[in-house]
Amino acid sequence: MKWVRVVLLSGLVVAGAATGFVYSGLYPMGADNPHNPLTYKVLETLRERSIARASADLEVPNLDNPELLLSGGPDYNEMCASCHLQPGKSQSDMSLGLYPAPPNLSEFHGEENDSHDHGDKAQAASRQFWIIKHGIKASGMPAWGKTHDDNRIWAMVAFLQKLPDLTSVQYQILTARGDGASDHH
Amino acid sequence: MKRRYSAVLGVAALIATLSAQAHDPSEHKATDQKPDCAAINTMDHSKMDPNDPVMLAMMRKCKDSMETEASHGMHADDHHGAAKK
Repeated sequence: MKWVRVVLLSGLVVAGAATGFVYSGLYPMGADNPHNPLTYKVLETLRERSIARASADLEVPNLDNPELLLSGGPDYNEMCASCHLQPGKSQSDMSLGLYPAPPNLSEFHGEENDSHDHGDKAQAASRQFWIIKHGIKASGMPAWGKTHDDNRIWAMVAFLQKLPDLTSVQYQILTARGDGASDHH
Repeated sequence: MKRRYSAVLGVAALIATLSAQAHDPSEHKATDQKPDCAAINTMDHSKMDPNDPVMLAMMRKCKDSMETEASHGMHADDHHGAAKK
């Protein structure tokens, strides 16, 4: 029974040390002070595994619908582009200041990051839908599902599928809220 | 006293209604921006795929503008034709 006592004592010491560290205030919390690589890797894996599990059973609708692009484009421009950028823009105050840095979705081709196992296109779309709807804790990514219905979020996902291939001109036309009627007579 | 309560309730209801509409698409129209439909004319039409959802969406967005331009063109032709006669 000696080993049980050793394990319990070790557990108490580790828990005490962890509690002491948390209350010490020594951990740098500023967004301009990156995590050490191990902490970053652990948090990244935690995030990706959680999203992959939660979005696994989502059914992806047909996203090749022009109407979805016309609905999702303006929403993306107004809600997302300040952080996730747009064609012809490589950085913004938000993309530079947030930590972890928001991905540049206008440059994303195929998988968002090849080091992650996001699977096929449908899986990537499910992942994007889940992130837009639920947000990500302590990252600056809001849960848009609190104020936007699923159809509207799928429209944004549809737009995201085309975004990396859009030119600045195409982006401007698809994201403008106003109609195309010309004013001159 | 009753009137005062009604007024307070009325204002509260108005604020609640406005906040509920905050994410309605029409709310975004405050940042109205017109699509640059004239730019479509400068694109290389031979490279356009008529079944491409992006192309179809752009055409739908600029439908009114293109129709207006086409009718202007027809009017202009009519005028030229009349002038020639």
